[in-house]
Amino acid sequence: MAPKEYKYTLEHEWICPESKNKGKAGLTDYAQSQLGDLVFLDLPAPGTQVEQGKKIGEVESVKAVSDIFAPVSGRVLEVNQTVVDEPGLVNKDPYGAGWLFRLELSKPSELDALMDSEKYDKFVAELSEAESK
Amino acid sequence: MMPVLKKTPLNKAHHELGARMIEFAGWQLPVWYTSILEEHRAVRSGAGMFDVSDMGRVCIAGRKAAAFLDKLLSRRAGKLQIGSSQLCLLCLEDGGILDDLFVYRVETDRFLIVWNAANVEQKLGWLRRWAGSDPDIVIQDRSADTVMLAVQGPAVTQLRSLKGVSHLPRFGNTQTRLDDVEVLVARTGYTGEDGFEVIADSADALHLWRSFMEQGVKPCGLGARDSLRLEAGMLLYGQDMDRNANPFEAGLGWLVELDHGDFIGRSALVEIRRRGVKRRLVGFQMTGQGIARSGYRIFGRGQEVGKVTSGGYAPTLDANIGLGYVPIELATTGTDIEIMIRDKPVAAKVVSRQFYRKGA
Repeated sequence: MAPKEYKYTLEHEWICPESKNKGKAGLTDYAQSQLGDLVFLDLPAPGTQVEQGKKIGEVESVKAVSDIFAPVSGRVLEVNQTVVDEPGLVNKDPYGAGWLFRLELSKPSELDALMDSEKYDKFVAELSEAESK
Repeated sequence: MMPVLKKTPLNKAHHELGARMIEFAGWQLPVWYTSILEEHRAVRSGAGMFDVSDMGRVCIAGRKAAAFLDKLLSRRAGKLQIGSSQLCLLCLEDGGILDDLFVYRVETDRFLIVWNAANVEQKLGWLRRWAGSDPDIVIQDRSADTVMLAVQGPAVTQLRSLKGVSHLPRFGNTQTRLDDVEVLVARTGYTGEDGFEVIADSADALHLWRSFMEQGVKPCGLGARDSLRLEAGMLLYGQDMDRNANPFEAGLGWLVELDHGDFIGRSALVEIRRRGVKRRLVGFQMTGQGIARSGYRIFGRGQEVGKVTSGGYAPTLDANIGLGYVPIELATTGTDIEIMIRDKPVAAKVVSRQFYRKGA
């Protein structure tokens, strides 16, 4: 189950608002389970300006490469160096220790367009159902 | 329309284990059950098993079977003892590689070949073309009515089911019973570890699979199959070599016995060897940050020089490694090259292709 206080994108990123204009972001549990064991992360340097929905980095599992998109617009404040050194943390704890970066939000209202946990869980359930057919 | 994927006799068992299934060479196969890394490590440190039923199994029998295989294969099958096997190449007239395969001598006039899942119809056609209507050469594709399991890892000889065949030498094979099931078992594999490959009737597939599971053997998918073979420096047909590559540039010259008589492709290969090769398949290790993947471009001395054929993360080495073709002058161990990873050149070094060596 996705944490209630987080917001979610269609590309399976989450953002957790920390204050009015700051937030921590990462990949959802569904994303990590689809990718499998993560072995490499390419994340934007602190200071980078990012735009909602635009590609900002890459994540590689043993098997494949996949893009990371910015959940909202803003500036990268910090990258989780622990997870860069040990990408498997995203698999183990995607909503906690496996967070990827912190952002300063330039348009906090963008959060309103994202899914809440209930919507996101439903979205994932539909995807899983389609996949098992 | 989606093509209908072929399913192995264990397809349902894979689904029941919650495996993530993907398409591979026209087959639906598990890419992983729990995690590629866990499965990879199980094979390096204990025992893992793979459903490798996608590999084609073809029986070649008859009074002229040995002579027929000698004509088609790059190493003499006719000199194999009963109960032994060898890796060899199936070459085209121009020396290009049609496949790499294992040939097992089961009886004096009966051989089994095990080859890759790709291009099966084409390869069978090739065999039948050269066999003609000779009644002394009987070619029978057994792929659909048999199952093949690869049980691999340092702990395999301790398994209850396999203790009885632990006397088999490397590449040895025997027809016997395992868990009350008639099998052909061989001490072969594609992981760089000790292990066995077991071929049985499709009807016995589930019984064998469950027995190995009860003995603690971990089911492993295509992901680990690929990462294990890459670490061990083993080539994958269709990726690291194909009909446009010759054995010498692929580093498979050791599989070519030019003195064994006139097999198909021999005269072309003699000429290729005389001229020398211009490029060579090398191993490389990333020294910069990034993972090379199949198809990425290789740069050397500022120029594009070749392509990555296989690449990925090597769990046992905790390094990013790969294989690719480079001009012969860059093929020396220690040479600095660059891999273009999403438009960024990333540093790498040419290293020995045998990245991982058992017990090293």
